[in-house]
Amino acid sequence: MAQEPEQDVWTTILFNKYLAGPADAVLNAVGIKPENPQHPWQNWLTMEILVVAIIVVLFWFIRTRLSVERPGKLQHISEVFYNFFTEQTNEAVTEHGERYMPFFGTIFIFILFMNLIGIIPGFESPTMTPAVPAGFAVAVFLYYNFMGMRAHGVGKYLAHFAGPMPWLAPLMIPIEIISHLARPLSLTIRLYANMFAGEQVTMAFLGLTYLVIPVAFQGLHVFVSFLQAFIFMVLAMLYVGAAVAHEEEGH
Amino acid sequence: MKVMRMLWVMLAALFLGSVPMFAQAGTTTGFSPREWKPALAGIGMAIASGLCGLGQGRAVASAAEAIARNPGATAAIRGALILGLVLIESLALYTLVIIFVVS
Repeated sequence: MAQEPEQDVWTTILFNKYLAGPADAVLNAVGIKPENPQHPWQNWLTMEILVVAIIVVLFWFIRTRLSVERPGKLQHISEVFYNFFTEQTNEAVTEHGERYMPFFGTIFIFILFMNLIGIIPGFESPTMTPAVPAGFAVAVFLYYNFMGMRAHGVGKYLAHFAGPMPWLAPLMIPIEIISHLARPLSLTIRLYANMFAGEQVTMAFLGLTYLVIPVAFQGLHVFVSFLQAFIFMVLAMLYVGAAVAHEEEGH
Repeated sequence: MKVMRMLWVMLAALFLGSVPMFAQAGTTTGFSPREWKPALAGIGMAIASGLCGLGQGRAVASAAEAIARNPGATAAIRGALILGLVLIESLALYTLVIIFVVS
């Protein structure tokens, strides 16, 4: 792609300085040769680790402050989120929705934090590189197929691809396979393109003027971050709901 | 029929007016894709964004009318509206990704 060579975020510089050796060892053990042995850490990986650390610290902090009689502000906010996730999950996955709720909640919080951290100067959103949304999409793909197989059994789940009537199977199976494969692709491109295009548009307007206009685009980036995290979660819920759904007749 | 005639006239003017472009000298193959990439990228993106705008306009119009008919269902309609808008938006963004991949 036509981009200028990326500059390293301070976390990447730190990681490359101190942890280049172990990273090279891990990569060589898997069989991948890093193109620059002094620089095996990429921006998105170190920023992702930083976001994980921030989320873990934040939730640990909330956990220690939980109280039934005198809830604090953070507890109220987390209860709002919890109700939001539970309500959405029960709407999309009609039965036993609660056991899938942690996955969707994690997706939402993780993607939201990763999108928003790009606004702070000196940090870069890991979702601006195609690798990170692709990882999420593959995880969702594996998750909903695994949950479908667990709910129905492997044979019955694959038999759903054949459609409602058995004589439609030669037509339905390629269509179903292609549409199932198109789902992780569209999830990836949607998240990646929204974040990447947001950054490019902000850069384009920063090239024109330093005054008020780029701030409006940063505001748009915040709005789009929330929306894209929400949509990723809703689509994951719909896929799991479609995979797990039992037909009402004949059971 | 007037619209069709106007469209044909515009198309003819476009084709005839672009004849001077063939007078360029210096390209031995006569058609190097590298020079056309920005123009075609712009045209492709413009078509994608225009059609996406049309689609989203229809979605918002029908959502607003549904809320006007049934204000009690506003939350559900708003949810369906947001989902639909984002899915239509992603179609225009696929074009943008292709542009970045190609050039």
